[in-house]
Amino acid sequence: MRLAIVVHVTGTLVRLFSPAFLIAVPVAWIYGEWRDLAGFLATFAATWTVGTVMRRAGRHQPTDLENLRRIEGFAITAATWMVVAHFAAVPYMWTHDTYVDALFESMSGLTTTGATILTDFTRYGRSVFFWRALTHWVGGLGVIALFIAVLPRLGVGGRELFFAEAAGPTDEKLTPQLRDTAIALWKVYAALTVVEIVLLVIVGMPLFDAVCNAFATLAAGGFSPHPASIAGYQSAAVDWIVTVFMFIAGANFALQYRAVRDSRNALVQDEEFRAYTGVVLVATALLTVFLLRQDMSLHDSVRHAAFQVASILTTTGFASQDFALWSDQARMVLLLLMFIGGCAGSAGGGPKVVRHVLMARLTIRELRRTLHPRAILPVKLGGRVVPEHILRDVQVFMLFYLLTFAIGTTVVVLLGADLLVGITASIACLGNIGPGFGPIGPMGSFYELHPISKFVLTLEMWIGRLEVLTVLVLFRLEVWRSARWQ
Amino acid sequence: MHVVIIGGGEIGFALAQGLAASHEVFVVDNKPEVADRFEPLDVQFVLGPGTSREVLTRAGAERAEVLVACTGHDEVNIVGCGIARQLANPRTFCFVSREDFLKSGEKARGLAGFGIDRVVWPEAQLAEDIERIIRVPGALDAETFVDGAIRLVEYRLDPDSPFIGRVADLHLPENSIIVAVRRGEDFFIPRGASALEARDKILVMGVPDALKEVRRRMTGAPDTERQRVAIIGGGDVGLQVAERLERQLDGMELTLIERDVARGEFVAARLKHTLVLKGDGTDLALFESEDIGRCDVLVGVIDNDEKNLLASLLARHLGVRRIIARVSRRSNLRLFERVGIDIAISARGAAIASVLHQIQGETTRLLAVVEEGAGRILELDVPEEYAPRSLRDLAPPLNSIVGAIVRQSRAFVPRGNDRIEPGDRLIVFTTYAAADQVRVYFTRVR
Repeated sequence: MRLAIVVHVTGTLVRLFSPAFLIAVPVAWIYGEWRDLAGFLATFAATWTVGTVMRRAGRHQPTDLENLRRIEGFAITAATWMVVAHFAAVPYMWTHDTYVDALFESMSGLTTTGATILTDFTRYGRSVFFWRALTHWVGGLGVIALFIAVLPRLGVGGRELFFAEAAGPTDEKLTPQLRDTAIALWKVYAALTVVEIVLLVIVGMPLFDAVCNAFATLAAGGFSPHPASIAGYQSAAVDWIVTVFMFIAGANFALQYRAVRDSRNALVQDEEFRAYTGVVLVATALLTVFLLRQDMSLHDSVRHAAFQVASILTTTGFASQDFALWSDQARMVLLLLMFIGGCAGSAGGGPKVVRHVLMARLTIRELRRTLHPRAILPVKLGGRVVPEHILRDVQVFMLFYLLTFAIGTTVVVLLGADLLVGITASIACLGNIGPGFGPIGPMGSFYELHPISKFVLTLEMWIGRLEVLTVLVLFRLEVWRSARWQ
Repeated sequence: MHVVIIGGGEIGFALAQGLAASHEVFVVDNKPEVADRFEPLDVQFVLGPGTSREVLTRAGAERAEVLVACTGHDEVNIVGCGIARQLANPRTFCFVSREDFLKSGEKARGLAGFGIDRVVWPEAQLAEDIERIIRVPGALDAETFVDGAIRLVEYRLDPDSPFIGRVADLHLPENSIIVAVRRGEDFFIPRGASALEARDKILVMGVPDALKEVRRRMTGAPDTERQRVAIIGGGDVGLQVAERLERQLDGMELTLIERDVARGEFVAARLKHTLVLKGDGTDLALFESEDIGRCDVLVGVIDNDEKNLLASLLARHLGVRRIIARVSRRSNLRLFERVGIDIAISARGAAIASVLHQIQGETTRLLAVVEEGAGRILELDVPEEYAPRSLRDLAPPLNSIVGAIVRQSRAFVPRGNDRIEPGDRLIVFTTYAAADQVRVYFTRVR
């Protein structure tokens, strides 16, 4: 690993991120939040400077960028997310939060987790809430996907970065050129966001809230400017609109783009999308039954069941009701959904539906192999054979994912949280979902947890967003032993 | 009819043999030694490459009504057909050995652009035949006529078969009739007094419902029983048979055994419901562990006759009820049947029969050829001036039998007091030798 190039590219990406702070400036100006305005300007300056310094420090041959190695790609991706999260935390610290809390909130925003340490929403300016939603929106498709769309120069080396950050085992490109693919995805993403904002405004949501909530929905994030999340708007229309857009955000954007561009059948033919839809329908039906037994009306049961299933499965983490107060049966359904996640190539987190589909087929294959030891049993997806190395990657991913989850749970519980809080906090952060059950539920906050727990959960969000292996491989000693500056 | 055959190999020879008696046949091949083989046949041999305009002209391609290209090289066959088309306008049959040529015909114009009317891929023909046989449980062969209204099914009689005895005592269901019996090398059309013996093969013609009843009595099994099918060898034919069966599974269980791992993976990727096993077709341990002995049908399509025979005998020994084996060398056909393989068929044989049928079928209305050409099924139209007569009053030529009558789109198997009326269409079963006589007899106006 050549550290110079890692520092250089990371610096470039960090500097590119800095204009994002300027987007919040007009918002602060409109609402007369001069202190926050100064904060955003200062952060912009700091980010720009640090980015530039890193760029300069890691000087290198121009050709180096073109033969970027895999491990360097991982390191750049992981480092960029971590550094950007630190700068994105500054506006919260500027208000009054501690370093750990601010980093938690910032990482939660960028990784589209939606877990919050805020307890008193009145202490923050509107521009800070806008900033929270904006970090979601930028993090939803991926910081690096954004840069690839903007930066033609990352073209060749960008490939490694793009797939190091991409959600799920997918290496599909819509167009021969990666940059065009990234641009196409951002177009779909932006268009959907605008449509949701318009719809929310039509049903009566204030524009500021509509923008923030739409940013959070399409990114499968979960930060709402309202302290009671979507439940605070008390509107069935809002609930249904958000449900639909959460469902869209949890599906493969590339697939949706193709469905619109080429053929409507692309969605039906895609096995992952079918499985995803199936999970949503079955879970909604189940949850409806459990909610009906809690004396909820039929319409409310279906509405909240559909909303909450979409919210948890796509790892958004919005709440149309305080589901932490629901019956154990209902919460069990949600807990199971936390371990599934959205589709590959979506804004959603978690292990992804496609990995579960492949794991199920692998299980069936091993059972069949016991009966027929000599059988040739390829695992197929969409009629095509899945190569063995991808199957192995999926198994390894699931193993590390659960291992990370277990370690996170252990730390949180050992540091004084109760078992349910520990389990749900760990999976909610690793899966980029957001709220858990109990005190860390949708109406609660992670504020009360031990600072070390919060830091570990922050790491989990980071690890979860970058699909575990990208980060975990950097913990190998071997990687650092072979590291050199040039 | 003027027929040109490009390629004097096994296929060319068999075609020439089948056509020589009633057609003007030219055979084109560029190997002089091939000419000797055609010496005993009444055909004209032309020496030279089949892709040469000059050679084809010498073979009278300008007057040809049919041209069959059957050399061992696909490209030569295609070019030969193309040139013939430039000279005249014959119906062209082109033999190929790769699936791509067959498939391209769907969206693109495929080989039609080269002036080819029919692409014959022998392996596909064989797979089609095998599928048809598998689909009729217990049958050795099966054919359908008149859009499925009339079928012909072949069975072998086991020693404990209820069919053993005098034909008149059988009381077959209405609309079904035994049209022929094969006993060893003999082949005859049974009359009421004929007796059926164990190990006879019988050909039954009838409407589908009646044949279902025959099958029930023959196999003693209910109609809906799920079949277990094992395919040994994952080559072109094995894969095709599996793919064809998968298209309409009917609860069938399919197992395919392939020796080569890479090929096995390719086959497994193409098939959805078939269990693909890696192993040798002659591996007894594998057969036992996978319970191949319990299969209803075993299809041996290894591309090596000896191995195929071994695999088939192994399966017979383990108790598989029906065995269909592919034979590459036609001379091995009899050998396979002698040692107890129920159904031995060759890819080339199937293709040759199909091409012969298509060439002759148009003029003589030959519906099918069974038992290696010993039996033929003809379709005849009774002229309008024909005086109606009941079957009993007719004295048809020896070695023929009216299997079915199609009258106003209704098909039935006639009894002795049914009458043949003008405008009827007859499905007549006859032996090879009696075919011409039969044609004249039924269409002659008295």
